[in-house]
Amino acid sequence: MSSRRSRSRQSGASRITDDQIIDLVSKLQQLIPELRGRRPDKVSASKVLQETCNYIRSLHREVDGLSDRLSQLLASTDTDSDQAAIIRSLLM
Amino acid sequence: MASFTPNLEPAPDTSLQFKPKKPRITLQTPSSCPSNQRTQRIKRWRTQRDQHIYSSKLFQALRRSRRTSASREVHETADRVLAGLARGTTRWSRAILTARKVTKHKKAKLPTNNRLRKPDIYRERRKTPAVERKLKVLGRLVPGCRKLSFSNLIEETSDYIAALEMQVRAMTAITEFLCGGTGGGPQPPADRLPSNVNS
Repeated sequence: MSSRRSRSRQSGASRITDDQIIDLVSKLQQLIPELRGRRPDKVSASKVLQETCNYIRSLHREVDGLSDRLSQLLASTDTDSDQAAIIRSLLM
Repeated sequence: MASFTPNLEPAPDTSLQFKPKKPRITLQTPSSCPSNQRTQRIKRWRTQRDQHIYSSKLFQALRRSRRTSASREVHETADRVLAGLARGTTRWSRAILTARKVTKHKKAKLPTNNRLRKPDIYRERRKTPAVERKLKVLGRLVPGCRKLSFSNLIEETSDYIAALEMQVRAMTAITEFLCGGTGGGPQPPADRLPSNVNS
């Protein structure tokens, strides 16, 4: 890893130590399904971060698609009072 | 499809029966033992119970709202309920809740420090720029975390990812439910979901 000079043009976030990198890799790796099977020392921080961003974006997209479907479904079942009553009784 | 393998406990209640107990949000103040807090936080979005709570709250919110014909409204409602469940303990949840009240402008321009945009010759002094760049991107993806310190950002990210996964599971369950269980269209990952309603 490159040197750990504390030469900070900005205060705060510019000094990232190697320990933090290791911390990042260990924590985030557990969360991402694609990286879970790999050994921690074989995954670089950059890749972990990249995969994390990709994963969050894909989750966003998935929620988008789901909310799309839900909006269509709700528009169609809104008039169906029987089903609504059943649903309500089951959920409460 | 991304395959989640969340740490779902083999919960005995696989039906959608929601017992109206007080939701056991176990995230205490920071004075509690950190390892304990962290364990609770890990389990936080992954229990069946949390998912049931979220599903029912979301469903009630959706039924109540009259404007659910747009998918954006549904998405925002889902985010809002999700953030509400966090009870203000995480920064992203607070950001979601406050962003709704203020304005609808997406990604309002925060007062970023443009004056600190140094040219490239200064950038080589810091840590690998790729990592820095990606950290910034990550900070933009998680709501409200643009100017967070490193360790906080990691914590927020892990919580946010777990919450998003739960959101996907819950919304998939609701969609299946409304479809009548057999579900047309894209097949949701139904093998882990408590969709035993239509028997």
